[in-house]
Amino acid sequence: MWKKIWTKLFTWFDERLGLNDLYKATLDRPEPRGNWWNTLGSASLFLFVMQGLTGIFLTVYYTPSPDHAYDSIQYIMTGVQFGWLIRGIHHWGASLMVMVVFIHMLRVFATASYKYPRELTWLIGVGLLLLTLGMGFTGYLLPWNQKAYWATTVGTAIAGSVPWAGEFILKALRGGTDLNALTLSRFFSAHIWILPLLLTGLIGVHIFLIIKHGESAFPDKED
Amino acid sequence: MKEEQKKTLHEKYQRALQKGERFWPDSIYKDLVVSFGIFIVLILLAAFVGIPSEPKADPSDSAYVPKPEWYFLFLFKFLALYGQIPGIGKIEWIATALIPGLALLLLLVLPLVDRNPYRHYTRRTLALTVMGVFVVGIIALTMIAGVPTATDEIGRMTLSTWLQFLSGLILPGLAILLLLGLTLLARKWGAAARRAQVWIASAASVGMLGLGLVVMLTAPPAAVSEVEVADTIGEKFTLGADLYSIYCTECHGEDGKVTVITGVEGLEGRAINAINSTDIMYTLTDETLANIINYGQPDLGMTPFGRTYGGELGPSEIDYIVTFMRYSWDDRTELPSDAVLSSIPELLPGEVPSYEVHISALVKRYCISCHRPGKDNRNYLMTTYEEILGPSDDGPVIVAGDPNSLFLVLVNGQEQTAEDGTALRAMPTNKLLEQKYIDMLTLWVLNGMPNAAAEAQALSAPTPTPSP
Repeated sequence: MWKKIWTKLFTWFDERLGLNDLYKATLDRPEPRGNWWNTLGSASLFLFVMQGLTGIFLTVYYTPSPDHAYDSIQYIMTGVQFGWLIRGIHHWGASLMVMVVFIHMLRVFATASYKYPRELTWLIGVGLLLLTLGMGFTGYLLPWNQKAYWATTVGTAIAGSVPWAGEFILKALRGGTDLNALTLSRFFSAHIWILPLLLTGLIGVHIFLIIKHGESAFPDKED
Repeated sequence: MKEEQKKTLHEKYQRALQKGERFWPDSIYKDLVVSFGIFIVLILLAAFVGIPSEPKADPSDSAYVPKPEWYFLFLFKFLALYGQIPGIGKIEWIATALIPGLALLLLLVLPLVDRNPYRHYTRRTLALTVMGVFVVGIIALTMIAGVPTATDEIGRMTLSTWLQFLSGLILPGLAILLLLGLTLLARKWGAAARRAQVWIASAASVGMLGLGLVVMLTAPPAAVSEVEVADTIGEKFTLGADLYSIYCTECHGEDGKVTVITGVEGLEGRAINAINSTDIMYTLTDETLANIINYGQPDLGMTPFGRTYGGELGPSEIDYIVTFMRYSWDDRTELPSDAVLSSIPELLPGEVPSYEVHISALVKRYCISCHRPGKDNRNYLMTTYEEILGPSDDGPVIVAGDPNSLFLVLVNGQEQTAEDGTALRAMPTNKLLEQKYIDMLTLWVLNGMPNAAAEAQALSAPTPTPSP
């Protein structure tokens, strides 16, 4: 009887949502014989989702102002149940994500998977690598500790040394001549809104292109 | 790519699909295994390695050596090395904008630049060797990032800096130039050119990593900064108590209840509020207290203590002092159990005190407040063992075994007159030490001022073992 109800329910939803087509298009796809190196893309996605979830949790307690940022993070580490674990995962997840994304790029390079017809997938992939680094750069400032403050001072100064546009870039990043409250709120906004939205959008296109062209086959001697 | 090539490519891919697997469940199984492994690694890192504590950002501390996240270290090191090149090294934007920009652009448009239609590694020698040298270069730069570039007294680069140059700039640069040059010869030389490329890339990689290792291993160990960071209220309280006794007791006394300052040059007899009063604790917030310490209240005689305004304290340290005050004197707070007041260990009968265990704690609580650099103390500093042994403006202060040492005389409350006529006041100036501490200091001097605990142990009378 349960099976009957289940079939009915599924058919009802399938007729309206096209679940079967969705399943065929996204999951039930043929692929060339797999390789463990091909898992790095999905591992990057997994890390992105983890960073998103732990990050959302952290924003519950984090305050992006120079007066309270440091204390709010100390509160997360010592006052919130399992706060240390969530922040620990977010902290190490960032490092791991940069590493995994970079090795993923090296894999794609080594198997020359960026060649026809997957040129755009590569282009977007490089964009994703840059955005990941951008997430690392903006996130590094948020704890507002000595390391964060001075690394960002130097990092933004480097960006400010670009000829002609340097001064504008520096002011846009810092919101003033020195690091201040505005810098922190800009980095915070970039870290939790602008960059993640861009990342999500580009990941969507990246995955669409992978499904469209299929995963590239491991090259053999004739390739 | 010609239409024909595209067609064969598609056909070949279709054949690969026929022989392949399904995304669900074959590929996704591998994906899940790897992701789960990463998840476990994350939990382990978060639980067992954790996140190192850092002090609060202090814009006034310009001596702080900036350190970026590890994945930007190679760029930092590249800039540092580039800046050492005579002449061109002064044009900063070449290294900060032009070179990284070009590298990035090349990476972005790689599919358009790389016109080679082949995919197997044996047919992509140039692409793979160039990328290999790049990646090994990044690794080498990251390895040597912790070793500073330095010049000697007359402005020549040190040997280590030369090796860093070789490992991080010259070898990779040279290798890439050679690799590109050999490609031009490839038509004439064929396979020989490709073999040469592999050899060059391998040799350069071994050289970069080898030199990087040499630089790393021969580098003097980096000085470990001794900044103590508190994470919990208890730890803040403990550190704050020490800071309070060094920076605040001179005027406000050990327990903050001083209302008339005594024994402080220039502030003698000044009436102040007792800072441990309920009035102060209830009406001033932590932020206000921190501001007072930071900016001082010059009109009332209190100098600024914040580093930004000419004092010696950073934001974290001020925060610790405020925590100490709040949890000591505000009757609405309850001291967390992990707070410890660093106490001065009591002496057992017959035990001889040592600097390491007893005297350093005593001195920190009662003496360093004035006997540190920048205070009026007749050049008698007490922050280390060597400093305590003297001498000061008044000659030797402590003489081993001499109960009439100037040190002990002043501690016992007898005023003296220096040779130049200055009055030497009894120490500490506001209130003499408890008798047991005076005895401790006397015992220490009589036994020749032992430094380490073991030395004092050797001098101590053997503790009587209870007979069975």
